[in-house]
Amino acid sequence: MAMAVARRESRRLMPLVNPSVSIRSNLISPNQEQVGLGVRSISTQIVRNRMKSVKNIQKITKAMKMVAASKLRAIQVRAENSRGLWQPFTALLGDTPSVAVKKNVIVTVSSDKGLCGGINSTSVKISRALHKVNAGPDAESKYVILGEKGKAQLIRDSKKDIVLTLTELQKNFLNYTQISVIADDILKNVEFDALRIVFNKFQSVVSFLPTTATVLSPEIVERESEAGGKIGDLDSYEIEGGETKSEVLQNLTEFQFSCVMFNAVLENACSEQGARMSAMDSSSRNAGDMLDKLTLAYNRTRQASITTELSEIISGAAALEG
Amino acid sequence: MASTAAVPFWRSAGMTYITYSNICANLVRNCLKEPYKSEAINREKVHFSVSKWTDGKPEKPTIRSDTPE
Repeated sequence: MAMAVARRESRRLMPLVNPSVSIRSNLISPNQEQVGLGVRSISTQIVRNRMKSVKNIQKITKAMKMVAASKLRAIQVRAENSRGLWQPFTALLGDTPSVAVKKNVIVTVSSDKGLCGGINSTSVKISRALHKVNAGPDAESKYVILGEKGKAQLIRDSKKDIVLTLTELQKNFLNYTQISVIADDILKNVEFDALRIVFNKFQSVVSFLPTTATVLSPEIVERESEAGGKIGDLDSYEIEGGETKSEVLQNLTEFQFSCVMFNAVLENACSEQGARMSAMDSSSRNAGDMLDKLTLAYNRTRQASITTELSEIISGAAALEG
Repeated sequence: MASTAAVPFWRSAGMTYITYSNICANLVRNCLKEPYKSEAINREKVHFSVSKWTDGKPEKPTIRSDTPE
């Protein structure tokens, strides 16, 4: 008799308990709504699974950050040392990014792997801007792309202008021989009046300057040196041997290109690791925040179901006594 | 004056200055004594894949590598 009363009582209490249950389960997952009548506790399985996966992702991003940090340290020294290769050329020939020529070749340096922040999109953006700036009725610009990611982005709108793509650069440690072979390949396969190399110059772990370096063809250098300016000082240098000026300039241009490329590739690899490090740092921080929120929700739900159970027991006992 | 006379030769053989200087650099590397020699040669390994594009389509990439797979 008393049991029947209690059952009736609890059925009357159900609508009071149930709404709060369904609201909380809405927060977690929509398919938790079909909680059967009389089932008091909510399954926290889904939240627990989610927490586990977030924790695993955090572990992975933390490990990636560590890897990037150690790679960065190795490559940073080399990048900084390689700056000494192009500086004499800039002192000798000057840097003339604004020179207007007919055949432009834009060499976009990007990375093969992703998950490294925005460095690839910046270099692609700068390349597109250069393409636009140098476009004209009788001028044309072509792309030479280093790295998988820059290729993927430029394929979308500039398919027609790509002449050469090079990938898998970083399988071995970057070295001068490799880059010079690449530079050689580029020189043999494209005709150019000016090569514009776009890369991210490494400044610090968190800042990378998108940079362009310009390498002019020997004919253009000659034309510019006759016009005067910084390149005009070239005649004041004494040249050993019996080569003509154009021969010297051709050798110089080729060597300059390989040196600038070497520095560009190293700087970009360095920036890539730095960017990856900071990206992974922020993503592991985000994973931590998410984990905190999930833990809070999980604990709150658990506590709520305990409270509900307790109040049900107490009210049942009170009904029995009364 | 051997170097001056050599200029037209390697140029007419279809080499660029980069190839020429690489061959020279390799010769110098081979002159090193043993522990340093293999170290220097192992350091300078070439591996990359290159593909030419014609009319907006990539050709089959060729892999240039001096390490056997």
